[in-house]
Amino acid sequence: MVDFLIGLFLASLIVALFTTRLYRLLLWYSMNSLMLGLLALVIGDSLDDNAMILTGVMTILIKAIGIPYILKNLSQKFHFVRQITPKIKVQYAIMLVPAILVFTFYLSEPITHMMHTHANYVAISISALFLALLLMIEHRNVAPKIIGFLSMENALFLLGITATNGMPMLVELGIFFDLLMAIVVINLLFHKEELQV
Amino acid sequence: MILYCITITLLILLAPLLLSYIKVTKMLLLFKRPISLFQGYRNFSKLMHKETIISKEASAITHYAPFLVLSPLLIVLFFLPPVVQGSYYVSFVDAFTITGLISLSTFFLMLLGLDSASAFGGMGSSREAFISALVEPAMVLTIFSVSLMAGNLGVGQAGVNLSEHFPKEHMASFLFSGISFFILLIAENGRIPVDNPETHLELTMVHEAMILDLTGIYLAIIETAASIKFIIFASLFAALFMPFGFEFSIPIAFLIFIFKLFFIATMVALLEVNTAKLRLFKIPNLLGLAIVFAFLSLITFYVLGA
Amino acid sequence: MNLTLLLLPSIIMFGVSFLKSDRAKYILAFSSFVILLPIVELFLLPKPYNILGNYLVADNLDTYVLFLSSIVGIGVTLSLLTLDKHVKVSPNAYRKFYRFFAIFWVGLIFSILSNHMGIYWIGLELATLSTVYMIKTNYTPAAHKEAWNYMIVGAIAVSLILFGIILMYASAKPILGESAMEFNLLLAHAKEIPSPFLFEIGFAIATIGMFVKMGFFPMNLWLANIERASFYPVAALFSGILESAVIIGFFRFSKIAMEVNYNHLFLFVFVYTILTIFIVSFLIYRAKDFMRLFSLSGIEHMALVVIFWVSGAPFAALLHFGAHAFLKPALFLATGVLESNGKYKIAGALRGYKGKKGTLFWFLISLFILAIISLPPSPMFFSELYGFGAMINRAKQGDHILSMLVAIFLLLTLLSIIFYRFVAIYQSMKYEGETQEKKVYTSELFALILFAISLMALLLPTSLTYLQSIA
Repeated sequence: MVDFLIGLFLASLIVALFTTRLYRLLLWYSMNSLMLGLLALVIGDSLDDNAMILTGVMTILIKAIGIPYILKNLSQKFHFVRQITPKIKVQYAIMLVPAILVFTFYLSEPITHMMHTHANYVAISISALFLALLLMIEHRNVAPKIIGFLSMENALFLLGITATNGMPMLVELGIFFDLLMAIVVINLLFHKEELQV
Repeated sequence: MILYCITITLLILLAPLLLSYIKVTKMLLLFKRPISLFQGYRNFSKLMHKETIISKEASAITHYAPFLVLSPLLIVLFFLPPVVQGSYYVSFVDAFTITGLISLSTFFLMLLGLDSASAFGGMGSSREAFISALVEPAMVLTIFSVSLMAGNLGVGQAGVNLSEHFPKEHMASFLFSGISFFILLIAENGRIPVDNPETHLELTMVHEAMILDLTGIYLAIIETAASIKFIIFASLFAALFMPFGFEFSIPIAFLIFIFKLFFIATMVALLEVNTAKLRLFKIPNLLGLAIVFAFLSLITFYVLGA
Repeated sequence: MNLTLLLLPSIIMFGVSFLKSDRAKYILAFSSFVILLPIVELFLLPKPYNILGNYLVADNLDTYVLFLSSIVGIGVTLSLLTLDKHVKVSPNAYRKFYRFFAIFWVGLIFSILSNHMGIYWIGLELATLSTVYMIKTNYTPAAHKEAWNYMIVGAIAVSLILFGIILMYASAKPILGESAMEFNLLLAHAKEIPSPFLFEIGFAIATIGMFVKMGFFPMNLWLANIERASFYPVAALFSGILESAVIIGFFRFSKIAMEVNYNHLFLFVFVYTILTIFIVSFLIYRAKDFMRLFSLSGIEHMALVVIFWVSGAPFAALLHFGAHAFLKPALFLATGVLESNGKYKIAGALRGYKGKKGTLFWFLISLFILAIISLPPSPMFFSELYGFGAMINRAKQGDHILSMLVAIFLLLTLLSIIFYRFVAIYQSMKYEGETQEKKVYTSELFALILFAISLMALLLPTSLTYLQSIA
């Protein structure tokens, strides 16, 4: 089950890399976060860890529903460019994505021998980090860059859930707080842009 | 042996029904009055009675090609994984053979398009070549990786192994190859994001452009070939990526299998209703995705073992 | 001494920033000065002092860094008083600047005083996000673009740091459990970490994140562009305060990494910083405006701090860092005056000052410019002397003396390029170009004098012994 969810997590991220429409991208980001939240719920249930279940619920509420909704609202309010064509051509992306995956899988191979639980997930979360970076690199518009940043946060979260069986509650709450702060700052930045024009 | 023959007959008989079923579902979803479920058979019998006219410029290829389009697909039908327990099956045929046979059929279809030297035929053939060149690597990789997970390179044996011992530990790579194969299913059968089988608009058509000149029995053969191709892909998908229901008694297993086929057809219909057709030069994006997922499933299996 | 007192000035500042009266400006400035008081008290308390359980602990190192930062903060506030005389800034933007300055301080206090990797990261992220808005107080398209730029790149850098932190936590969790995030426990048990490779990969990723944030190798011009686009006090904040929050994380992480595998750490950091200095020195050679010049020189200084710290001379590193923290903000603040007649004009920047204020101003600026290229009375001279000495000592213990000598020779060559360029710029500022009158305001002069006094205080024997005791 966990394997299945983690597969869907990576799959939604890869599909997001090839998306050319903003709302689709938001949908895939939301799917990505949903998978992350479900993963946290499943792992938290198996470990009997209430903190992680809470994190999972918060992830689903904030990242899978809240943030895509806010971003969609923002995009309607400030008239974002909705057709976002990646700067990296598809034929290169097709070669680049597997190259990144192979690289990260081999990079993290020594780690996977050391970990006792969920060994492979470290590799997948590192590759998710790189793919999120690629998502940020391949777009010129601001909105997909924000999505890339948020997906990067998701990759970090995945690592936190799987590599360490959940970080201390305090830190996870702090990360959520910072995420909300980031959304506020993004909102303010857009506001200013509107005033200027 | 008798089960084997029954399976193949069933597949051949179901093939036109499945395509009509997709059409019916789509029409229902679009609030149109649906056609009959048996429209496929009716078309076939109508075309059988029609007079066959062939273009003056056409060479002998037009006479042979329809049979050569159909026959490799019929051969593939014999190599599919078994549907019920105790059925006879061919265990040694691997991904390359199946892909090769399907491409052979496509090759003759393209020749057929080129042969009458009409403008549309050439265009359709070139588009078909473009798409199938992208489909093949992904197809080989996908079936290969799923056979690796099943522990046997033979597709038939792989289907049996998967349903007997499902590789839970390889769930992630299994999922990736499933996604990849579903994209291929859509692309190879000319369903909507890639090709629209229902229109004859010169800007978009791929499959229809190649068979525009045909009538009568030749057209009937080609249409049968198309429906058989769909059922090959659907039953491969059902056997390899939905490996359950094999262990039940024979009639129930058959029923489950047919149910799976109709489920796949429903998924395809839903996808067709919900997406717009891609521009021809955007198709590499979709197929690129399939290649990425196929490759991803292989490396996830090899490097991570997940 | 508790946390409330430490955060109170920032909270007041945050609240007052919503008031719309004219007096708010002075209250804001005053509350910004007041930040120094609890920090001075913290400075005098016996160490280590637990502020909030084991999460926030004040020890010698972090109070020193916090003390430096608060002095820089006061200097920045002083220059903010007359910001509107040099550039166009609306009162509204001014208040918003202070609002985010308050959040910035909260994040900074948490990250500097933290004894916990997670809290360190949360504070750092808070400080980063609040600076994004400070860049934006300058209403120009360039500032807008750079604010986004900072948001994106800063977010990447900070995410890399978190990534590293998680890996390090994962490596130590089997022996320490949930408290594997506390620096002092990690340091005490560094030798027992069951999977050192995991720790080292985590450390490398976190370090790259921190280096990117300080403008090291792949991102050399990133900070320079941002400082160019924003107001000059923001540039001073960046180089004086935000970098201190980053570097203290590096100090703490590298202390643990030294215990885990010293040779790997040394090689990694050494190659990275030499590469940085190599590129930066040539960029400085080509620099044509003050902001870029000072910001690149700041990167060079941070690289030297890092290199001194890992080669076992924490005293030199801290001294160098202190001198950098005072000199750079002073020069950044001075650019407001130096560039007051048309931007990018180096020639003649030091001419045309009238009266006592003007004379004092150009005298101080000349001193500062000569101090950042480590001419003898400057603290940088002593720290570099001591630092290079420590590097040779370190090499003597191993058998890499020759490669170390080559590396030092290379570093000195690169530093001499920078030296040459700064002397040339100083001459151009003083003796070339036409004379245009420039006005210096008292508050700016106060800020410069504050920095000059603190710089001299850094050289007093008592402060030197204090730095020795930290090391």
